[in-house]
Amino acid sequence: MEWVETTGRTIQEAKEAALDQLGVDEHDAEFQILEEPRLGLFGRVRAEGRVRARVRPSTPRAKQDRRDRRRKGQGASGGTADQAEGDHDDAHPTASRTSAPSVGGHRASSSDDATPARRGPAADERPRAHLDDRHDDGAHPGREGDMLMDVALQEQAEVARQFLVGLLSRFGLAARLDIDILEEDERLEVRIEGDNLGVLIGQKGSTLAALQEVTRTHVMHRTAARNGRIHVDVSGYRHRRTEALAAFAQGLAKDVQRPGRAVALEPMNAADRKVVHDAVAKIEGVATRSEGDDERRHVVLVPLAADSPSAGPDAPAPTHSTDDLGTRATDEGDPDSGAGLDAV
Amino acid sequence: MLDYLARSLTDHPDAVAVEAVPTRGGTRLSLQVDPGDMGRVIGRRGRVAQAIRTLVRAAGASEGRDVSVDIVD
Repeated sequence: MEWVETTGRTIQEAKEAALDQLGVDEHDAEFQILEEPRLGLFGRVRAEGRVRARVRPSTPRAKQDRRDRRRKGQGASGGTADQAEGDHDDAHPTASRTSAPSVGGHRASSSDDATPARRGPAADERPRAHLDDRHDDGAHPGREGDMLMDVALQEQAEVARQFLVGLLSRFGLAARLDIDILEEDERLEVRIEGDNLGVLIGQKGSTLAALQEVTRTHVMHRTAARNGRIHVDVSGYRHRRTEALAAFAQGLAKDVQRPGRAVALEPMNAADRKVVHDAVAKIEGVATRSEGDDERRHVVLVPLAADSPSAGPDAPAPTHSTDDLGTRATDEGDPDSGAGLDAV
Repeated sequence: MLDYLARSLTDHPDAVAVEAVPTRGGTRLSLQVDPGDMGRVIGRRGRVAQAIRTLVRAAGASEGRDVSVDIVD
């Protein structure tokens, strides 16, 4: 895992910048403070704070395992590289999903076959989990590290599955549960599919975010996982929204390109900001940067010509709402979370 | 639902107690956990507590009930 180094007027600001670059939540990153910011007269910043951050490695490893891992990292040649590529190919079902132009259709229908919408209690085995066992068939001698990692991830997947099965039955929902183990990313990708799952998504995905949060917390608690990188998606909502957000950001970037005026988006979490940064990076003549602290942190699109350092972070810019995308907005106090898919 | 979440997130599931009080137009649930588990159900900056509330509210809303959650010590 690579380290990134960032600066900011406060440590928090530097951390936020690092999270932007990594595109992960604060939970999933680890920080080293390299330099505290130094304040001059009247609180003016004389020297910015510097931090180093990286995505937190997933599981605490046995010594043996750690050694293997390090060795693998240093000698990135020959068999290791081949292996890594092989893993990449079959361990990334997301690669094809990301590029699929339309979503929802085929997956929704397949889950219809699997589970007709039934309601009722005592459904513990109804949501059917599919854990990918492909790593068991080809035991690679001399790759104990990866083997152990698989076991850890599989254990996490099993814990997550049991937890979610129980949760879904308490919602009285019939749903299908798929868990992909993305070994390369050390991450679990949980997909919940079925009918009438809007209740699990909530307004602007708020219930989905909560679902992910408690699942992650539960898995971290019940397993040795240190970071619990678990993504939960319901009926492809997150996937669709990510694509919509990227398209929206690119559209906005094209507007910024010509008249040359900076545009600020509404506050977003680190993962969403990364979506925007990455999407706009493909558009020439427009740069992105993140501004604001914590809950108010948001992306600003800046025409490159006007992106002089003196423009400063306080340059006024209209906030562009992404409400129509179902993007998380600031009004989280709304108690009605039933709307769900209709809004997408 | 709240009971299940709380038990899933704590070290001392047996110490989890949920009390329901009817209120105007809904139900208020009080969650009590082992003192050592308080941090777990609240989480950093209250993130876990907020997530618990959101899920319980969603489950209640799907049954047409207005449910709120208090965490008490």
